[in-house]
Amino acid sequence: MINTIIAMVRKELIDAARDKRSVMAGLYYAIGAPLMMCGMFMLLIGQITSPEALNITITHGERAPDLVKFLASDDISQGDKADRKEIELIISQDYASNMAKSRAAELTLIADNSNEKLQSSIRRIEKSLQQYSAEMGSLRLIARGIDPKVVQPIKVTIEDQATSDSKGGMILGIAIFMMVYAVFISGMNLAIDTSAGERERNSLALLLSHPVSTRDIVLAKVTAVTIFAMLGLILTLIISKIAYGFVPWQELGFSVNITPDFIGLMLVIGLPIALMAASLQLFVSFMAKSFKEAQSYLTIVLIVPMMLSMAASYNIAPDTLQWLPVSGQMQALIAFIKGKEIPQMQLLLSSATTLAITLALMFGMERSLKSEKIVFGL
Amino acid sequence: MIKVANLSKRIGDVQALNDLSFEALDGQITGLLGPNGAGKTTCLRTVFGLLKPDNGTAEIDGIDVAKFPVEAKQQLGLFPDPFGLYERLTPREYVSYFAELNGLPRAQAKAAAASVLNKLHMDDIADRKCKGFSQGQRMKTALAQAIVHEPTNIILDEPTRGLDVMSTRVLRDLLKDLKAAGHCVLFSSHVMQEVAALCDRVIVMAQGKVVAIGSPEQLCQQTGKASLEDAFIELIGTDEGIAA
Repeated sequence: MINTIIAMVRKELIDAARDKRSVMAGLYYAIGAPLMMCGMFMLLIGQITSPEALNITITHGERAPDLVKFLASDDISQGDKADRKEIELIISQDYASNMAKSRAAELTLIADNSNEKLQSSIRRIEKSLQQYSAEMGSLRLIARGIDPKVVQPIKVTIEDQATSDSKGGMILGIAIFMMVYAVFISGMNLAIDTSAGERERNSLALLLSHPVSTRDIVLAKVTAVTIFAMLGLILTLIISKIAYGFVPWQELGFSVNITPDFIGLMLVIGLPIALMAASLQLFVSFMAKSFKEAQSYLTIVLIVPMMLSMAASYNIAPDTLQWLPVSGQMQALIAFIKGKEIPQMQLLLSSATTLAITLALMFGMERSLKSEKIVFGL
Repeated sequence: MIKVANLSKRIGDVQALNDLSFEALDGQITGLLGPNGAGKTTCLRTVFGLLKPDNGTAEIDGIDVAKFPVEAKQQLGLFPDPFGLYERLTPREYVSYFAELNGLPRAQAKAAAASVLNKLHMDDIADRKCKGFSQGQRMKTALAQAIVHEPTNIILDEPTRGLDVMSTRVLRDLLKDLKAAGHCVLFSSHVMQEVAALCDRVIVMAQGKVVAIGSPEQLCQQTGKASLEDAFIELIGTDEGIAA
């Protein structure tokens, strides 16, 4: 019995390896997705972190040389005209005289506040100006013999508890989801080809006419698709490891570091998911009447794991989701990358549900292969 | 030996098999003759356990297919219609794969495949992928698959359909060899010449029922006609759906 299963798995893999469509589907994703993610992260990081030097237009800087110097010490200056952001600081005509008379000296900051890209720059300038203002105020008080602390009744100390790795949960969620999803994408074409495709080519009836039990056939097909899915996952991890090296993570204060430990954990956690993905895809494809029908069904079915993982990375869903397949495992992986403790109970339970669903689907498939309707596509 | 007793099967609104009973003996070529839609393929699929009969049993060498499908099917070779080739495999891989499914160890399966491919004069195409094969080459591959594990019983569904003279001859010679070696050969057809030329016994089917059983000569005598074709028409009572 075990020999026939091995023979079937071997045949499925040879058949699949010669099927350009099946191989390409896995390869495109494994190579394309990490590179696309990499590019996306680079753009994202470039946007949310302000570059070191901030160049703005300072009109009439000669009226407040001290302020301009102060801003320059904060890396805010006119700089090259080409690099300037669309922020203008205008110093009023009576700035110097008001300053000398201890009146409010007027500055005008002109910028489009609705522009997301300028937000952090505007805040940086405002903060810098307030600092300058506070410094000037303190100096004036000291000149009048008053301790500046008098005008600072409250001192707020902010302690940021976020470790550098626990920031950027969204980016982490996307990065890890992309890897988990590899398991679903890589084996999909093979799953359709070996079920709906096999029936379409009339070899399913022939296979069932041979002295092999439907259970063995199901086991062999699930194994073959799982092997393909896991190969896709391994390839995705390798490409990700290389590609993510080029993302300037340090600017975010955390990094998606694909260590050998992480790869090991990912493969262990990924195996039950791959088994479930394989049996789910085979089950759905056997239900479909043709290759094309199976493709359109699967596209819809694949939204489910995507939603589960989204729920995991955005924390929008109730806690019960933590026990569900895919989302539970994703949370464990995110915890691992963040350097937190892996929620073992949760991981065990979600892996168990994953395997339970796999078994149920395989059992369903075994039964459906005994049904005339499914075998002959009636 | 293949024995079918009181088989009935309803597919949708059609009574495909209606209390069908017959035997195909070892060392004989038995032809299942009937017009299109007579239930030939349904009958063969039932023998293979692909369809479950509403009533009746199918036995292979005395083993009930419905009760012990794996054991029963080990005594069977199937030449299906359509062939169901794996286009990305070569005939050598294809044939040895099915030999393995029938319980042969890998090394033995490879040897058996090599010998059957040689026997069918397929050495020149044995290592080419099946994609792009001609109908004759496909037929040979399917045939090699059916006999590679040397089953006692061989079932062929419309084996001569779409074949040229050369391929038909190869097939005919092989069936005669199998018969001489004591195998039980059962094939369905609606081509009179084939049946007349090959069969020891003919089972004439119409509307899911056995109409007559006997050698081609007996059928001619029984109906008082000179040719099997005329006898056939006489037996089924209409000339609908007969390929000359």
